[in-house]
Amino acid sequence: MGPQTARGVDRDWWRRAARSAYVHVPFCRRRCFYCDFPIAVVGEFRPVRGGDPSGPPDPLAPKVPLSGENSGAIAQYVTLLGQEIETVAAQGRSSSNASNSLEPLETVFFGGGTPSLLSPEQLGFILGLLDRHWGIAAGAEVAIEMDPGTFDRAKLADFVAAGINRVSLGVQAFEDELLAACGRSHRCADVDRAVAAIAAVDLNNWSLDLIAGLPHQTIERWRWGLERAIALGPPHLSVYDLTVEPGTPFGKWYEAGCAPLPSDRATAEMYRCASEVLRGAGYHHYEISNYARSGFECRHNRVYWHNRPYYGFGMGAASHLGGGRFTRPRNRAAYGDWVAGGCAIAADPTTETDRLLETLMLGLRLAAGLSVATLRDRFGPAAIAAIETVLKPHRDRGLVVALDDRGTALDPTIALGDSDRIALTDPEGFLLSNQVLSDCFEALG
Amino acid sequence: MTEVPVSRIRNFSIVAHIDHGKSTLADRLLQYTGTVADRDMKEQFLDNMELERERGITIKLQAARMDYRARDGREYVINLIDTPGHVDFSYEVSRSLVACEGALLVVDASQGVEAQTLANVYLALENNLEILPVLNKIDLPGAEPERVAAEIEEIIGLDCSEAILASAKEGIGIEDILEAIVQKVPPPADTVDKPLRALIFDSYYDSYRGVIVYFRVMDGRIAKGDRVKLMASGKEYEIDELGVLAPTQVQVNELHAGEVGYFAASIKAVGDARVGDTITLAKQPASEPWPGYAEAKPMVFCGLFPTDAAQFPDLREALDRLRLNDAALSYEPETSSAMGFGFRCGFLGLLHMEIVQERLEREFDLDLITTAPSVVYRVTKIDGEVLYIDNPSALPDPQYREMIEEPYVKVEMIAPENFVGTLMELGQSRRGEFKDMRYLAQGRTTLVYELPLAEVVTDFFDQMKSRSRGYASMEYQLVGYRKNELVRLDVLINGDRVDSLAAIVHRDKAYYVGRALVEKLKELIPRHQFKIPIQAAIGSRVVASEQIPALRKDVLAKCYGGDISRKKKLLKKQAAGKKRMKSIGTVDVPQSAFMAVLKLGSEGGS
Repeated sequence: MGPQTARGVDRDWWRRAARSAYVHVPFCRRRCFYCDFPIAVVGEFRPVRGGDPSGPPDPLAPKVPLSGENSGAIAQYVTLLGQEIETVAAQGRSSSNASNSLEPLETVFFGGGTPSLLSPEQLGFILGLLDRHWGIAAGAEVAIEMDPGTFDRAKLADFVAAGINRVSLGVQAFEDELLAACGRSHRCADVDRAVAAIAAVDLNNWSLDLIAGLPHQTIERWRWGLERAIALGPPHLSVYDLTVEPGTPFGKWYEAGCAPLPSDRATAEMYRCASEVLRGAGYHHYEISNYARSGFECRHNRVYWHNRPYYGFGMGAASHLGGGRFTRPRNRAAYGDWVAGGCAIAADPTTETDRLLETLMLGLRLAAGLSVATLRDRFGPAAIAAIETVLKPHRDRGLVVALDDRGTALDPTIALGDSDRIALTDPEGFLLSNQVLSDCFEALG
Repeated sequence: MTEVPVSRIRNFSIVAHIDHGKSTLADRLLQYTGTVADRDMKEQFLDNMELERERGITIKLQAARMDYRARDGREYVINLIDTPGHVDFSYEVSRSLVACEGALLVVDASQGVEAQTLANVYLALENNLEILPVLNKIDLPGAEPERVAAEIEEIIGLDCSEAILASAKEGIGIEDILEAIVQKVPPPADTVDKPLRALIFDSYYDSYRGVIVYFRVMDGRIAKGDRVKLMASGKEYEIDELGVLAPTQVQVNELHAGEVGYFAASIKAVGDARVGDTITLAKQPASEPWPGYAEAKPMVFCGLFPTDAAQFPDLREALDRLRLNDAALSYEPETSSAMGFGFRCGFLGLLHMEIVQERLEREFDLDLITTAPSVVYRVTKIDGEVLYIDNPSALPDPQYREMIEEPYVKVEMIAPENFVGTLMELGQSRRGEFKDMRYLAQGRTTLVYELPLAEVVTDFFDQMKSRSRGYASMEYQLVGYRKNELVRLDVLINGDRVDSLAAIVHRDKAYYVGRALVEKLKELIPRHQFKIPIQAAIGSRVVASEQIPALRKDVLAKCYGGDISRKKKLLKKQAAGKKRMKSIGTVDVPQSAFMAVLKLGSEGGS
């Protein structure tokens, strides 16, 4: 991964042009009880199941868009998104700065929200703009998050025709009670239909998302859910951990670690359980929350973890360009104003220290960890010595390992500078990763 | 200024409880006598420290000279010597009372006598002052002058048949007060021909002129250019500037027996011209100093640490500067494993401590961490050596100790009688010994307890106020040392004894304090990757223990798109928290734990 050139500080690694784009689609049929993302609930939906359409609406009943059409709000948003993309492309074209040059995109990721609420035409419109201005490289990963209950086989086929080649399916749980307790809009039957649709269009690159630590969840049911997930045969799984955020309904109702949420001990056990069960089933635990069969690791997310640059488009989306990170306005009105005002990116200038800390906090999320040679090239030998000191107690405790060129863990007495890579251990190092990282921030920040 | 015969001088002070209107009355007297023109009048002229004005109480005393033409047609010079209202400064109060022949006892006619008033009245009586009762605030709808007069007669035994009815706010009774001062307060003794003796009743530091000394000439004369000697310190100075306080400084050439004034003589620190010291002439010294000089002894101690270690030199400089002006302030450097470098400071009492802390933060812009106040224990070792210990970690181990004694105070509380029960409970819970209870007029009661000072310096005053819904007042005075079953309660974190968490407590309370300590620490120390036992122990005997379970999970495993800013913020916050922690062995303890525990140490068992 590091440059093949002779040793020396690689000063400009962070100035390279971005070859990835994240596109945020903030619409959801309803807001999940744990969600603090920038989303907007689109209201014009009718219940599809629940019997008599003239009866009182069941607030928890799954809903889909009125047939043939989605709300005007989505159309308006897609127009804004198009304007942003055009503006950024024009800025890049007129800039002499290498960071801004328009290079073909290797990965495109539609995240949300619920991007599967877009129509295939809207999706095609956005992809067309990206292709026109940047080009979408041959073999690029074009991924989208889709929620069960928001698409059928025909729609998915249209998405694939528009260029989608990876789907991340927001399953979250395999029990209707748990889905209801989270405020999710889909149910288990929707999951089965969604998986069948994926199989029917021969999309072999897809992922299944799960959340651990939901209210009333037990370790036994969690293990059972993992087995259900494996049985569906996804080549990739993301296993997230419920985070109770202030301002969300869960934030009002629950306290992390306290009933009905599982205890810290139980959620730690769920994490270990996922690692053990999924690895046992042939998945590679390649990142703190991600598992894949060989070759199915998410390329787009790896751009984040390798601290590479990427574009961000849409309300609340974050970009990382020329070392600067910028998060767009998180509500529609402010985002609209920002686009109308010319999409000015006001990123704080980053320092060498910022870049080192970001490299560590992102890179250590990967099972493969960080290349010592790359760290040395980018930040110099003094940084290696400082990292060595701060990681020493964690190596002694078994949370961090230094690896040789074959990926074998080295004895803690062997200096980090003499190793090939550094990484957190699975699962204990991953479980306490913030302890390790906050020590890095304290010592190096 | 013309020379005034001794027989036309009247020196008086005002004794009053906070809020009973002393400062307003002083303002009115200055206005009525034309000493301060109406247009120059600002609220509470005498209290010129920002802090005093804000709190409406007098901390540093001041003096004012007024010229008054009485009804008898004669011109009088009336000196008001203002006294600090609080018991912390009772020594200063006693010195300024010595400089007077009379005192106005100002009592709020709607409230009655309060504990602080009592203590100062007794001081005035001890000094044989003529006491003139003034019932203030008679304009208020709730004023009950008869009841309050009866209360004064009953408690103090003072004849109130000629008590003056006044309202300083409304300007009622001001002339009556001035007339009473002229007629009833005796003039100073005419000892102009004796060798000079002048009593220092206050001093402050001026950065241009050095220490400004406020004094009352007791005998003889003092003139500009005189070479004077301070009898206690033995130091000699030449007077550069001499004057009176009218109430701004007005220079004069000479002052004689009975007069009150100030001088500057290039004195470098107030510690060189202490309150109570006697000034005499270097050439013809008096044979004896004026009696009653004592050096102020700190009674209450606390540690002061800068929040930011880089501010340590600034804190030192600030304390040095404050000491120029505050001879009672003492401090020495202290190093705490928990809080780094700071100072252990001694104060006259709680108010003094609070004032110093506030001035350091306000006037010197320092950010301070203050440890809970402690007292000085007297420890007798087996070999007979006597030690004074104000820091629990310095207490010798039990096998070397013969006994520990602690300072006791007599606390007098005055409160409406329906609060007597709850105040007695408070007294008992603080190891108090009930001494006396007397019913006063109109359902008010005085309660007298003797208590360990250690129990009073914590939150006794706040407790008394909250239990009595603000109605009770209190006063305390030191009554000496008493032997008690005291022990050092150690705190062990993961087996390591933590000096800065040690406390000296009564054996009977050790369990409760220990339990509260370990529970609080359990709450405040973050989880680590290993189990942490927390114990409170007397010697090797553990009296309470808790355990912080190991941290099981600290990971951000949330879906977050490409927005890492919040995760970064979280890690930064976590790192900043770690930076502020102190390592005790392998355990990181946040500063908040030390602070909360110190506070709790004081509440323990109450």
